[in-house]
Amino acid sequence: MKKPRIGVFKFTSCDGCQLSILNMEEELLDIIDFFEIAYFKEATDKPLRGEFDISIVEGSISTEWQKREIVDIRQKTRSLITIGACATSGGLQALRNWANLSSYKKNVYPQPDVIKALSTSTPISDHIHVDYELWGCPISTYSLSEVFTSFLIRKKPGMPKYSLCMECKRKGIPCILVSKSEPCLGPITLAGCDVLCPSLNRPCYGCFGPKEGGNIESLLIQFQKMGFTQKDCNLLLDKMNTYAYRKVRIESVA
Amino acid sequence: MSKIIKVDYLSRVEGESGFIIEIENNKVHRLHLNVFEAPRFFESFLIGRPYYDAIDFTARICGICPVAYQMSSVHTIEKIFGIEVESPIKALRRLMYCSEWIESHSLHIYLLNGPDFYGIESAWASKDYLKITKKGLAFKRLGNNILALIGGRSIHPVSVRVGGFYKLPDRKSLKAILPEIEKAYEDTIKEIKWAAGLQFNNNSWDTEYVSLSHSDEYPMNYGSVSSNKGLNVSMKKFLTAIQEYQAEHSTSLHAGIKRDSSVSPYIVGPVSRLNLNYNKLPPEIKAAMKDAGISIPITNNQMSIIARTVELSYAFYEAMRIIKEYEEPERPFINFTSIAGEAVWITEAPRGILLHRYEVDDKGNIKACSIIPPTSQNLGHIEKDIYNFLQDNIDSSVDFIRKECEKIIRSYDPCISCSVHIMRL
Repeated sequence: MKKPRIGVFKFTSCDGCQLSILNMEEELLDIIDFFEIAYFKEATDKPLRGEFDISIVEGSISTEWQKREIVDIRQKTRSLITIGACATSGGLQALRNWANLSSYKKNVYPQPDVIKALSTSTPISDHIHVDYELWGCPISTYSLSEVFTSFLIRKKPGMPKYSLCMECKRKGIPCILVSKSEPCLGPITLAGCDVLCPSLNRPCYGCFGPKEGGNIESLLIQFQKMGFTQKDCNLLLDKMNTYAYRKVRIESVA
Repeated sequence: MSKIIKVDYLSRVEGESGFIIEIENNKVHRLHLNVFEAPRFFESFLIGRPYYDAIDFTARICGICPVAYQMSSVHTIEKIFGIEVESPIKALRRLMYCSEWIESHSLHIYLLNGPDFYGIESAWASKDYLKITKKGLAFKRLGNNILALIGGRSIHPVSVRVGGFYKLPDRKSLKAILPEIEKAYEDTIKEIKWAAGLQFNNNSWDTEYVSLSHSDEYPMNYGSVSSNKGLNVSMKKFLTAIQEYQAEHSTSLHAGIKRDSSVSPYIVGPVSRLNLNYNKLPPEIKAAMKDAGISIPITNNQMSIIARTVELSYAFYEAMRIIKEYEEPERPFINFTSIAGEAVWITEAPRGILLHRYEVDDKGNIKACSIIPPTSQNLGHIEKDIYNFLQDNIDSSVDFIRKECEKIIRSYDPCISCSVHIMRL
C-alpha cells in the first residue's frame, strides 16, 4: 500500500505545535514508517510537490499572502487538520483584532510602513473548510498520535469535548475556584491538557480554548461576585484564544 | 559575469526566512537575509496588561525556547520589585534552563544541523543516519521530561511565577529521573568526539563573541555581559553599548557594538558562551574536549555543532548536580508587593543572550516593553559570515554557493519566529 502523504504547513505562530510533532520522539519513527512526510520545512529539505492525504496546519492568517496560500493548500489536501491556538483561534496575535494596527506597528518597528500585515489575525477555519481542529497552546503530543492513528484505522479522532472541570474532578484536585476563590477558566475551557495548571495550584488560563456552548457570561458574573472587575474578566479571556472566547461569550449571552 | 543565488524558504530552521545574493563582476552586489515571518506585535499587546502576563505571553514568541522567555521576563520583573528568590528556587530555574538547552540543542545537533554533514535532506533520509537520529531523540526526550517535571509540560511550561514557582516539583520524581540523566551524561561525553570529527570548511575570521559571564558558574540566568574584545558591562548598560547600523550590502538594519566612531557586528550563542566561559566547565568535559582535539577559541561558526554538543553534555552534568544537591525550600514562592519601576534583564537562551526590558506602573501594569532576541542580534553577523565566504568562493557554481550558504545560516540555529522582533534602540 502506498503510504499516505503528510504535509506540515506554518502560518503566523511560534513553531511550538510543529515542534510537538518532533517531540513525539520515538513515536515519530513510527510515523515515518506509516506515512510519507512529504513536506515539512522545519525538518526536511523536500520541496513542495503534489497532493496531500493529510495537511497539518499551524499558525493564524495575518497577511495577504497567507490568505492566498491557505486556499492553495486546501485544494491540494484530502484531510486538513489545524493544530494549536493560532490556527484554531487566531492566537495571542489576534489581540490586535481589538486594537489599532498602525499604533501597534509604530510601537514595535522603527520603519512601520514597511511592515506588511493584515489588521486582523484569524483562525484557518475563517478562510477555508477545516476537517478537524486540535486545540491547545501548545497542543498535546497525545492528540497528535490520536489524529495519526485515527487516520490509519479510518475513525474520527476522539478528543474530549467536555470542560476541564470533568478531568479535574476525576483527578480529585480540590476546586481552585471554589476553595481559593481564584478565577479559574476550567468550567468554560476544553479538557485535553491533563489538568496542567490546577495540578500546579494555578487557575486555568484557557490555553485549550473555549468549550462549545460554555456559559461564559455566567462564570464572569461569579468572578465579579468574587471581587474581580469587568476589566479583569476581559483580560482573563483575552489571551491566546481571545478570538474564540469572545465568540462563545457572545453566543452564551444570545 | 553575474549570477543570482536565491533561496525562497530555508528548510531545517525554525521559522520562515530565505536569502538572496547577487554577484556582479565577481563582486557581491547585494546580500540579503529575508525574514518573511509575519509580525505578531508582542511589545504592543503587552502594554496595559498585568506584569505577570509577560511570563506566559512572551513564552509564546518561541515554542523551542519558551523557558528563555520566561526566565528573562521573570527576572526583569523581580528586579523591578526588588525580589531576590531563595537559592533552591534559583537552582530549580537553572535546572529548567538546563533541560531547555538539552531539548533545543539536541533538536539542532541531530535533526536540523546534523544532516548537513552527511549530505542528506532530513534526519530520517538515510538508514545509517537514523541511528544518529535515534540517539538525538533520546536526549531530547529526556530534556523534555525533566522540563515537564518542573514546568508541567515542555512547550510553554506553566509553573514559573514572580517570586518562585506556583508549585515545587516532587523531590522523589526528580531523584527518580537521575539514573537516566547520569546515563545520558556518559553518552553525551562520547558525542563530543563525534561532533569534533565532522568535516568543516575553513571559514574562520576575527570577530566579537558576546555572552553573559559569571564569576562562579557557566552563565544562564545571572552575570554581566562580556566579550573577547574587552566588553564588560552590566545587563542594563548593554542596551547602550549596542546600536543599529545599516550594512552596505544589505537593506535591513543590524545590531552592532559601538566602538569609537564605528559599529561592528557581534555574535551570541553557544560558540560565544563556550569561548568566554570555557574555564567554568567541569574537568571531565574539558578532558573530553582535549581528547577530541578541540581548542578554544572556536573561530569558525560552522563548528557551532561542537559547542552545542559540549553544552549538551554540560547541561546533563549540571542537571545531575542540581538534582543531587536539591533541598526543597520552605515555600514555593515568596510574597511581595508590586511597585512601579523599570528594569533590564538578560539570560542565556539556547541561541544566545535574550534581553527583556519592562516598565511597570504603580498598579502593576506594563507601561513599556522591549525584547531583543538572540537571532536578531546575529542577523548582521550571519550576513558578514556569508560575505566573507563569498570572497573566497565567488567563482564557484550557483548550486555550491547556495548549499554552503544554507549551511552557514543553519549553523547559527536561527530562530526566525524570535527574530521578527527587530530591535528598536
